[in-house]
Amino acid sequence: MEPRVRHFVRNSEKAFADRQLQVALSRTTAKFLENRAAAVAEFPRFEGARESASRIRQEALDNLDAHLARFITEARKRGAVVHAARDGPEAREIAARIAKEEGVSLAVKSKSMIAEEVGLNGALEADGVEVVETDLGEYIIQLAGEPPSHIIAPAIHKTREDVSRLFEEKLGEPYTEEIPALTRIARRRLRDKFFSAQMGISGANFLCADTGSVVLVTNEGNGRMVATLPRVHMVIAGIDKVIPRLADLPVLLSLLPRSATGQALSSYVSVLTGTKRAGDAEGPERLHIILLDNGRTGILQGKYREILKCIRCGACINVCPVFQSVGGHAYGWVYPGPVGSVLAPLILGLPESSPLPNASTLCGACGEVCPVKIPIPGMLVELRGDEREQGLKTPAEVLGMKAYASVMSRAGILEAFQRVAGVVSALLFKERKIERLPFAFSGWTERRDFPAPAPQPFRKLWKRQRGIRPWTR
Amino acid sequence: MAQKRGISVSLFSTCLADTFFPSVCFATVAVLERFGVDVRVPLSQTCCGQPAFNSGNRKEARRMAAKFLSVFQGEEHIVTPSGSCAAMVKHEYPVLFRDEPRMLSLAYHVAGRVFELSQFLVDVLGVDDPGSTYRGKVTYHDSCHLKRGLGVADAPRTLLKAIRGVEFVEMEESDRCCGFGGVFSVKYPHISCRMADRKIERILETGAQVVTSGDIGCLMNIGGTISRSGYPVRAVHIAEILAGSEGAVP
Amino acid sequence: MRQTAELLDRVRAALRGRTVAEPGLPYVAPREPGAPGSAQGRIDLFRRKFEALGGTFLAGPAAESVIPALGELLRAEGVTALFFPEEDPASRSLADALVPFGPFLLVSPADIRQAEPPVSAGIQSAEFAIAESGTIVQTSRGGTSLWPGLASDVHVCLLSPDRFLDGMEDCLEALSGDPPRSISLITGPSRTADIELTLTMGVHGPRRVIAVLPSS
Repeated sequence: MEPRVRHFVRNSEKAFADRQLQVALSRTTAKFLENRAAAVAEFPRFEGARESASRIRQEALDNLDAHLARFITEARKRGAVVHAARDGPEAREIAARIAKEEGVSLAVKSKSMIAEEVGLNGALEADGVEVVETDLGEYIIQLAGEPPSHIIAPAIHKTREDVSRLFEEKLGEPYTEEIPALTRIARRRLRDKFFSAQMGISGANFLCADTGSVVLVTNEGNGRMVATLPRVHMVIAGIDKVIPRLADLPVLLSLLPRSATGQALSSYVSVLTGTKRAGDAEGPERLHIILLDNGRTGILQGKYREILKCIRCGACINVCPVFQSVGGHAYGWVYPGPVGSVLAPLILGLPESSPLPNASTLCGACGEVCPVKIPIPGMLVELRGDEREQGLKTPAEVLGMKAYASVMSRAGILEAFQRVAGVVSALLFKERKIERLPFAFSGWTERRDFPAPAPQPFRKLWKRQRGIRPWTR
Repeated sequence: MAQKRGISVSLFSTCLADTFFPSVCFATVAVLERFGVDVRVPLSQTCCGQPAFNSGNRKEARRMAAKFLSVFQGEEHIVTPSGSCAAMVKHEYPVLFRDEPRMLSLAYHVAGRVFELSQFLVDVLGVDDPGSTYRGKVTYHDSCHLKRGLGVADAPRTLLKAIRGVEFVEMEESDRCCGFGGVFSVKYPHISCRMADRKIERILETGAQVVTSGDIGCLMNIGGTISRSGYPVRAVHIAEILAGSEGAVP
Repeated sequence: MRQTAELLDRVRAALRGRTVAEPGLPYVAPREPGAPGSAQGRIDLFRRKFEALGGTFLAGPAAESVIPALGELLRAEGVTALFFPEEDPASRSLADALVPFGPFLLVSPADIRQAEPPVSAGIQSAEFAIAESGTIVQTSRGGTSLWPGLASDVHVCLLSPDRFLDGMEDCLEALSGDPPRSISLITGPSRTADIELTLTMGVHGPRRVIAVLPSS
C-alpha cells in the first residue's frame, strides 16, 4: 500500500467527520480491550509469561544471525525453497516470478500485514494472477478496494449494510442485513476459490528456527486451508518473525490471542513444516518462503531493535487514545497506532513519517499492555530526538526551545519573565483566562481556554510570606 | 494526627504551578506543614525540562536536567504537586544521562528522593487522613504519568475519601489520557480536544462538582475545556482539596 | 542461495559488536498451581474448557448413549452426509454405527469438494486433546487427513482416554525432533467477528465441534 503518512492531520480530520467510523472505532476498541482485560484476569501466569515472551523475542533478535541461518537450513532440509528479499520491490519481483514459474492463475490468500507492507497483491495482479483474500474482513475490503483499517479487524469501519450493498453490487447477491447470511455468502463464494487455486499465500505469525516450521494463527480456519489445499504455498514473512525453538510457542501463544482478541487461544494454530511428504494425505507439493528485510536489518543494528520483538497482537493499537480518536486509515500506512508510529519512521524514513512519532500524548498505555514489553513511549520520544538531530524540526520549534532553555537557565530570568507576564496578565485577563493564544499556540485556544499567568508567581509570594529578601536564591 | 517532626522536604514547585497556580504550591506547603514537616523552597529551581525532553529536544532537556540536579542534590526528600514532573526526574533523567556516568549516578541519586505529594503523604509519612474539610462531590482523574509512570493510584483516593465533607465518586475510564500530552496539545489540538471531550463526558456522568488530579497539565487541559464550554464542574488540584484552601494565596 | 547468503551477511553486520553473544535459556513461566495430574483430571478440565468454547462433549457407553446422542445432534444440525479418512478405522466404524440414526449418507471427501456440498459431518480420530485450553490436535502423521475438520459443517473428533495432555508444551514435546508436516491445534469452531464485531461461527471451517469419548 502506498504510504500516506504525511497526511496524518488531514486524514484524522476526515476521520472525525466520519460518524460511522467513530461509532465503529469506539465499539471495536472497547470490545477488544474489555475482552483482553477479562482474558488477562483469568490467566494468573500473565506477568510471568510476558517476561518470558519478552526474553524469548529478545534472544531471537540478539542472535538473529544464528537463528535465521538455522531456520533457512531446516526449512530447506524439509523441502522448502527459501528466498530473501531486500525490500518491497524485490519481494514483489520474487513473488511474481514464483507465480509465473508455478503456472499460477488463481491464488487464495490468508490475511498478511507484511503482504500489505510490500504491496504483494498488486504485483501478482499486474502479472494476470487473480489474488483472492479469504479472511472475511480482508475479503470485504478487497471487494471495496480499500486498505485495512485495523490489523486484527481490517473491515471494522464497515457496517453490515455496507457489506451487504457491497456483496449486492460486486457479487450480485441478494441484499440481507443478517450477519450469518453474509458470512455464508462469503463461505460459499470462497469455497470454490480454495479448491481451484493453484497457490495459497500467507504470512507467518512465527518461524521456528530449530525445525524450519511456519506457524499460522487464524480464527476462521482460512490459514490452514490456504496452506493445505493448493499445490503451492507461498509464505512471506519478515526476518523478525523467527523464534529460536518450536518449544517457545506455548508461551508466545498464551499471549498473542489474549492480547489481540481476548481469546485464550485462537481457533486454529497450524505448525507447518516443509512440503508434502511421502505418505501424507494432503499438503502443498511446493513451499516457497520469502524472507523480507525491508529495513529490518537496519532496525536490528540500532537503538530500536526491541521494536522487532513485536508479535502484531494489536493491543497497543486498541488501547491508544489517539488511535481510538482517529482510526487506522489516518496513519496512512499498514501498521497504525503506537507500533506503527515507531515502525513507519524506521521503515519508510523519518522525513516521510514525521507526524507519527509526535502524534502521541506519551500516556504510556501502549507500553503497559505490550505482551513482549516493548518500551514504545520511550521509542517515540527517542524518534522525536532523532528528528531534532537530523534537522527535521521546524525552525520555530527549535527557536522556541532555545528561548525556553534560556529563560529557564536562571531563576532570576524566569522570575523577571513571570513578573512581566503577571503585570500584563493582570491588565488584560481580568477573568484569569486567555481565550486566544498567538502563533503556534493558537490551536490550544480554538476550543479551550488557557490559564492566565498569576499576577505574582509563587516564588515571589513565598519570599514575601517567609520574609526572604528579594532575589535570594 | 501523626506529627513527623524532623522530616525535611524540598518543594519542587514546578514551573507551571509557580507561574500559573501559586495557590497549588501554597496548598502543598500547607498540607506538608500540617504534618510537622519542615518545608524549604529552593529558589534557584526553574523547570525540570519535560517540555524539551518530550518533544525530543535533548540538548535543552539535558541543560534543564543538569540545572535541576544541581539545585536539588543533597536534599532529603523532594516533593512536588505534579506526577508527570516527578516521573520526568525519576524515569527520564537516567535516559538523558545514559552516556555520562557521573551525571547518571547523580540522576539516580536524586531520582530516588523525588515524590509526588499524595505518594509522599501516604507512603513516607504514613498519613491516611489529611485532617481537612472540603465540601463537595469529587471525582478523580488519574494522570498518566502518576498512575502508569509512578504506579500511584491508591494514595490519592485514600486521602480524598478521608476528607470530611467530600463525597468521592469514581468516573469511568479514570486512567484514560485527557489529551494534554504537553506539546501534543498544541501540535495536534484537534485530537487533543477530542480526547478532552471524552474525559469531560466521563466526568459529567458522575455528577461531581469537582474533578481533581495530581497533575497541573491535565488540569489546565480539562479546566480550560470546562471554562470555555461552561460545564457545571470545576477542575481543582488535589493539593488544594487536601489543604482545604482552594485558590488561596497569601 | 545468493540472496539468502546476502541477507545473513546483513544480519551479521547489524549484530556486530553485540553484547549478548551466547543465548541464555529463556525464563520459563511457572505452571498454574492446581493443574490436573490425573488422567481423569485432564479429561474433566478438557471438557470444561471445550464446552466453554461452545463445543459439545459426549462421553459414556458407545452403543447406549454416545452414538444415539450424536446422531440426534447431527440431525438437528441438518447433517445429511458423513465422511471420514479412509485410513481411520475407528471413525469409519463410528460413521457406520451412526447410519441407523440418520438419514445419513456415507460420502467420500471428494463429494465435499464442491461449491455447494451437502451439509456434512467430518469424523476423525484426534491425535491429542489438550486439557488446559480445550484444544484438539490433528497432525499429518501416518497419512492422516485434515479434511474432516477443514471444510465440513460439523467436526466430530473421536478421543481416547490415553490421548489427553496437560498443556500445549506436552503436545509439542511429543511431536518435537522431526515434527510432522502439519500440526493443527483446533480450539473451538471456525469463527469470525469481522462484521460489526458480531461473533459468527462456521466461516470457512466447521460451525460446530463435537468431541466424543466412548467407553468400551
